[in-house]
Amino acid sequence: MNALISRIAIVGSIIKKDLTEFVRDRLWILLSALGLVFYVGIFWLLPSTVDETITVGIRQTGLDIALQEMIEAEDEGLKVVLFESSERLKAAVAGEIETQKEIQIGIDFPDDFLSKTLRQEKAIVRVYVASGVPKEISRAMSSLVREIAHMISGDDLPFTEPDEQTVVLGEDRMGNHVPFRDKMRPMLVFFILMVETFALASLIASEIQAKTVTAVLVTPARTGDVLAAKTILGTLLAFAQSVVLLLAVAALGENVLLVLCIVLLAALMVAGIAMITGSSGKDFLSTLIYGMIFMVLLVIPAFAALFPGMASPWVKILPSYGIVEAMVGATIYGKGWGESTPYLALIAVWDSIILGSGLLVLKKKAEAL
Amino acid sequence: MSIFRTSRIMLKDLRIGPRSPIFLWALIYPVIITLVMQVVFGSLFEPKPRLGIVDQGRSEITALMSQLEGIDFTLLHSVSQLKQRVEGNDLDAGLVLKYGFDTAMRSGRKPLLEFYIGGQSLASNRIILAVTTLDIVRQVEGKAPPVEVEINTLGDAEALSILTRLLPMMILFALFIAGLFVPAFGLVEEREKKTLAAVLVTPVKLSEVLAAKAALGFILAVLIAYVTLLLNGALGSQPAALLIALVVAALMSVEFGLIYGTVAKDIKTLFTLIKTLNIFLLAPVIFYIFPNWPQWIAKIFPTYWVLNPIFEIVTKNASLVAVGLDLAIAIGICGLLIIPVLALKRRMQAIISVG
Repeated sequence: MNALISRIAIVGSIIKKDLTEFVRDRLWILLSALGLVFYVGIFWLLPSTVDETITVGIRQTGLDIALQEMIEAEDEGLKVVLFESSERLKAAVAGEIETQKEIQIGIDFPDDFLSKTLRQEKAIVRVYVASGVPKEISRAMSSLVREIAHMISGDDLPFTEPDEQTVVLGEDRMGNHVPFRDKMRPMLVFFILMVETFALASLIASEIQAKTVTAVLVTPARTGDVLAAKTILGTLLAFAQSVVLLLAVAALGENVLLVLCIVLLAALMVAGIAMITGSSGKDFLSTLIYGMIFMVLLVIPAFAALFPGMASPWVKILPSYGIVEAMVGATIYGKGWGESTPYLALIAVWDSIILGSGLLVLKKKAEAL
Repeated sequence: MSIFRTSRIMLKDLRIGPRSPIFLWALIYPVIITLVMQVVFGSLFEPKPRLGIVDQGRSEITALMSQLEGIDFTLLHSVSQLKQRVEGNDLDAGLVLKYGFDTAMRSGRKPLLEFYIGGQSLASNRIILAVTTLDIVRQVEGKAPPVEVEINTLGDAEALSILTRLLPMMILFALFIAGLFVPAFGLVEEREKKTLAAVLVTPVKLSEVLAAKAALGFILAVLIAYVTLLLNGALGSQPAALLIALVVAALMSVEFGLIYGTVAKDIKTLFTLIKTLNIFLLAPVIFYIFPNWPQWIAKIFPTYWVLNPIFEIVTKNASLVAVGLDLAIAIGICGLLIIPVLALKRRMQAIISVG
């Protein structure tokens, strides 16, 4: 029992020494805090909503009933703004007059459109498109005009439609999409974690270069104590900064414990990476380069999470995939412990591999000194 | 200040440069970033509506859909695979065309058209895909639309691809790695290894050392940024304007490099400075990637004023006159940055003198 207490005290002393080294560098502390402020500032500056509507200007006469459904379909991706004259519609699309919302497409139905279409005569509808509007949107609006004409002239759909409830696959998020800002939360946390890898790696590298590890090992401290201290300190540093960031971007939400657990597991992983890079580098710069190699690889899942679609199989192999997926699930989609368990298990497996390798490399390095 | 001594120091740095990982990184950066952007992120950032089709009977609809510009088309072999990919948001929508669909439709038998929409797809993409599919189906049915649509394009701007919108990021990274990192790391390394103090014992002045580091960073920054643009086929048609914009951008990068290099007492502090302040300097690039965001925010950041002229020149062939105001503001910022550079040089001189 006494031996255990003694070991804890030794590990505590080493942590205290390392922490003092960190705190002594006031510029490091100040700038780390400033970095957090910047990340948080950028986060809150980003738009908090997703614009998923196409705004179309329409000039028409006598088509109120035919276009009613379209006008009322604002929540379904199409916002219609009515214009009284062709000139104003054209000017709005050209950006020459101020409108509440930017009009990039204008549909100008001629006055005789309804009568001609009913008589099965071809009317000419002008579609004004602002340059820069993607081809698929302008083409879709032309298709829409053709379909309106088909509808007015009484042409039925040439096919049968399935039951509406079976058409949408997965949870329907129309009108309720996650803003890009919210998707960025896990990535910001991930960046903080990765940057802290560099911090711990540089501490380890400098200790190895200055051979302070050897000095510590002259005392009753064993190699295992040094390793334990580094693991705890590295994990705590990464964990603490990440939690501060999560609080500042209001990301803890309802699953506080789950999010903290994910961050803790992630912090353990980055502590392991720091040990590998810190032990391998000859100086700070080479440590930085090794760290960059890890960072480039590990940041890919965080980037992939920002964009739609399932990640490629090779992305799923990366150690950070579980962290990002679990974070996205817990902070954005409100997923609980049950749904996150497979990812937590995946992170734990990677943690044991990376942290184990890190401890082994650092131990060998310390013993070789 | 002796130009001869300054150039000697610069040549020495150039000679031993390849020993530094940062210098090497600057040299290989254009190739690496071009590869990464073109191969990986080119498809990852793809914003087009995505449609998958399972065609069980060689329908004309499939052939017509596959030729449409602006829609990312995928041909799949099974309905379950299609449903899985639509549900997983790999596709915005999926269409199943059963055997004999075209014939049944033309004979008026109204076959079932299975059209699936991904719950996570944007409403705008749903409309585009649904309406376009309907139009193509009508076309294959063979019934002429009772209307003629005339498209009039207003203005002459072109839609920018995601790779074009990523250009500012690539350019700024190129400028920073060469113009900011090379002088900053060079200075701090010399300070840490005490070679700077040794050099200053000779007739060489600190201002000459700083000028040499800055000159090397400046030349590298202009070159690396130019090569990055060249590899991405984005030189535009205004070479003189581009050169002037790159020169101003490299100048600003080098000034930030000198500020970092003179403030930081060691590599660790320099790295902290980079990690903290670079988010402030890099922030404008994100507003090019997402043009719908409020663009005024980008103007808060100093690097916007060098990035925007380069972007306008390479993407819209803007003339020097068109980007003149932006460049004038950038030159003004460069002028202001000289004040902290000189003050920090004096501070550094004092610290080195004390030892």
